[in-house]
Amino acid sequence: MKRIDDYFRGAILTNVSRFVSYSGKMIRCLWIVVLSVWCWRAGWAQASPAKSGYIGSEVCKTCHADVWSGFYKNPHYRSIAGGVEAPEHTGCEGCHGPAQAHVKAGGGRNTIPRAFSLMSPEQALNTCLDCHAADLGKMNIRRSEHTLAQVVCTDCHSIHKSTDLRLLLARKQIDLCYGCHNNVRAQFLMPVKHRVNEGFMQCSDCHNPHGAPPPTWRMAQRPRMVDQALVNEEACLKCHSDKRGPFAFEHPPLRVKGCETCHYPHGSMNTRLLRRPVTFTLCLECHNGADQFGTRNNGVPTQTVSHNMLDPRYQRCTVCHVRIHGSNADPRFLR
Amino acid sequence: MRVIFLAIIVFIRAAAQQVVAPTPEQVGPARGENSGNYNIVNSFETGYRFSLIDGNLGKYRSDVNYRNGPRLLGSNLTINSRDGHGHYFDEIVLNTIGLGNDPYQSAVLRVQKNRLYQYDMSWRLNEYYNPGLAFSAGEHLMDTRRRLQDHDLTLFPESRFRLFLGYSRNSQTGPALSTIQLFDNRGDEFPVFQNVARLRNTYRLGGDARLFGFKLTVLHFWDDFKEDTPFGLDGSTLGNNPGDRTTLTQFRRTEPYHGTSPGWFANLSRDSKLWAANARFTYVGGQRDFILDETAIGTNRFGAAQNRQIVIGGDARRPVSSGDLTLSFFPADKVTITNQTSFHNTRIDGNSVYTQFDNSSLSSNNIQFNFLGIRAITNSTDANYRFSKWLGFSAGYHYTTRRIRTIEGFALPGSEAESQLYEQQNHLHAGTFAVQLRPLKPLSIRVDTEIGRADRPFTPISDRNYHIIGGRVDYRTRTLTLSTAYRQNYNVNSVNISTFSSRARNYSANASWSPREWFGIDAGYMKLHLDTVGGIAFFAGAPESQLIQGRDSIYISNIHSGNIGARFVVNKRVDLYAGYSITKDAGDGRGRAAPAGITDPVSLVFVPVQTFPLSFHSPLARVSVRLHSKLRWNVGWQFYRYREEFGLFSQFQNYRAHTGYSSLLWSF
Repeated sequence: MKRIDDYFRGAILTNVSRFVSYSGKMIRCLWIVVLSVWCWRAGWAQASPAKSGYIGSEVCKTCHADVWSGFYKNPHYRSIAGGVEAPEHTGCEGCHGPAQAHVKAGGGRNTIPRAFSLMSPEQALNTCLDCHAADLGKMNIRRSEHTLAQVVCTDCHSIHKSTDLRLLLARKQIDLCYGCHNNVRAQFLMPVKHRVNEGFMQCSDCHNPHGAPPPTWRMAQRPRMVDQALVNEEACLKCHSDKRGPFAFEHPPLRVKGCETCHYPHGSMNTRLLRRPVTFTLCLECHNGADQFGTRNNGVPTQTVSHNMLDPRYQRCTVCHVRIHGSNADPRFLR
Repeated sequence: MRVIFLAIIVFIRAAAQQVVAPTPEQVGPARGENSGNYNIVNSFETGYRFSLIDGNLGKYRSDVNYRNGPRLLGSNLTINSRDGHGHYFDEIVLNTIGLGNDPYQSAVLRVQKNRLYQYDMSWRLNEYYNPGLAFSAGEHLMDTRRRLQDHDLTLFPESRFRLFLGYSRNSQTGPALSTIQLFDNRGDEFPVFQNVARLRNTYRLGGDARLFGFKLTVLHFWDDFKEDTPFGLDGSTLGNNPGDRTTLTQFRRTEPYHGTSPGWFANLSRDSKLWAANARFTYVGGQRDFILDETAIGTNRFGAAQNRQIVIGGDARRPVSSGDLTLSFFPADKVTITNQTSFHNTRIDGNSVYTQFDNSSLSSNNIQFNFLGIRAITNSTDANYRFSKWLGFSAGYHYTTRRIRTIEGFALPGSEAESQLYEQQNHLHAGTFAVQLRPLKPLSIRVDTEIGRADRPFTPISDRNYHIIGGRVDYRTRTLTLSTAYRQNYNVNSVNISTFSSRARNYSANASWSPREWFGIDAGYMKLHLDTVGGIAFFAGAPESQLIQGRDSIYISNIHSGNIGARFVVNKRVDLYAGYSITKDAGDGRGRAAPAGITDPVSLVFVPVQTFPLSFHSPLARVSVRLHSKLRWNVGWQFYRYREEFGLFSQFQNYRAHTGYSSLLWSF
């Protein structure tokens, strides 16, 4: 004889199995819909007639053989080789627009729907972003300093005459950046500098020329083109990971204001890229006890009476405070 | 022939002065050679580098560091499938610099097959040498090697669903010096040796999907880091200060820490004709465990025998989360309005248990707890309006509110823990405005300004009332580039008993001219003026030190930097490059560190470091001769001269160095 709870158990199991069965069907249906849409958008829909005015890259080769002959090395060739992109997203017409009118006119720059040499900076930017807007590195391009200064893609990239096949840069990255940022070039010619001229580093190791998210240090406004290490930390920590912490005793300005509090990031006349030739002036300019500043809101603490600045041993702060970037052992960074 | 000229023009324009080697000239056919279905372009530059150094070798190694020996100075290899349907790959790109024994070495590799995979690798090595003379009298010398490598594999790179796998490694190893101060707050400092051993591994896994116009990216990573640097001293030392009776005869310290920082990154974006949106969220949770065991044996400053053991253990955590939402609107072709709202939240807390034994007796035992929380919320709006082809404007308003909370906790065994909570709020309002003119196609003029007002900045040197004015004029044609720029950044941060003022003015001009295929010249000049005045308070005096207030720390720097480089091609066979760069800090114009007439002992500490004039010259020359269509011989020379007008702490680090190389650049 079945007990009453067996009935309930049976009913529950039946309902659960029905639910699982229905859910499975629903999930399968959903998958079919998603896959159908994806396949259609991915290229199976190309069986439909091409949009008006598109004639294909084969025609372009006839006159522009010099451009075409080496184009297989170009990253943009991948879309042609794939053979699944819609005509407005591949080949010559993917960037330059439908070529029918250009061919009918027998050539001419003015008949190219999107001739980059005739475009305004915004038009050039928008044309590239048709495909590249989804790139992670370009998420902040609309508000980047470069865009606001009307420095757009074609100012740095050359699609057909690049010697850099990875990024299609018009020249070497260092020359491109120095071309406008002459003051930064001068900083890298200083005796103490990061090794950019030596080829060990590149500007893009720290900067994102397409715009970076707001910094998580300082007041989150400037610097605006500095990339972030490990997705939300100051770029310096990408390499200088020993300064990253977390420490039991943090030197607060590092986290609040960043490494530039004490260091110049590009180059300096002072050792270890410091902002001052000696450490004691660097330290004392903050540790002056002036009201309102510091974590305690009542001034960054001054040195103690035992520190007699006339004694040379107290003029080399980091000889004792060796762990000035942060310490696990000592709140005064002594070990 | 046209191809060769094209290559020459490219190199003629690339005239920014860099180090003398590797040689930028190309060898072999620019378009490479076909082999089967692949096109191959390759070149290798092998040679011998030499250096002759006179003066302070440590400073030379800190600044330049090129030494003698054979090198693979550079290599470039590209292999491309000609139809985009290679069997295992469609592209290989490999570039290397300095392999062999250069202090700066790198290799970059990309291997990819269309629609299937893309693999990117970069490997770098930096030999870091720094004597630390100026700030630690050489007691913080470092002679370490840092190796960095990144590997990224993208599967199905051109599809709507992509997968990412990545690995990065960062290691630092090598000998270094440090210091330890013993046995009490007024004890002496002693140099100790450390064998640096730091390692960090990061693993990444993620993917992105594009569906219905949206793109979603999710990335998860694990970051493991550790340090096992041992410190030690064998043998007796008197320490830095001869008048101090403290001695150290034996010292050992181990302080390993291990930690991990797992993190998440998610991004959702959509771009359409009238608007674009991007939402981003990141989270990184940092955590480390540490222990320190330190033993020191010697005598204290009173001459009594002393042995001390310190044991410290604890952990620290730092979760950091950030997010932003960016909305862009394009109401008309000429107008872009972007608004971004973002936040970040950093919470750092750590505790350490401190135990100290003096002469085998427990003398101190406490627990400390620290918390630092930073939370900032910002909102920025920027508008860009192109009035006409030759005139455009941009303007923005940025607002930030930041809260900083600190908890400092302290406890003794058997007693109640004490803790103090501090909190502050900071606000920043900033506005930007810029005008862009392009009266002629090659001529562009831009003037931009920013003004900001912050209340309660975090440090006395932070931005409070600041303004930036910048302007630049550029004239660019195919053969001629002229540009000049000016930028000033002034900040005043004054409160009732402290004044801080910094003024930076930066002037620069650059010209690049390549009128012929066989000639190009590039020259640049920059002047950077910086003067800062900051109120300081400190203790000084003899025989007893007293608090001194009302004095200023002054720093004045006038840096002039110039560079010029010219390249000639003779008979399409010989490339000549000659360049010269000079960087000179004229300081404030004084002829000696402490001007005559200053007798106040306190002024004699601060006045000599108000400015630090020095000069750094570096002429270079390079000759590259095409011996054969696939072979070049190169020889180069670069001279460095570093000269301080007056040293710091009586330390002069001047040096002169001749460096050079001879190499063969060949293609096969």
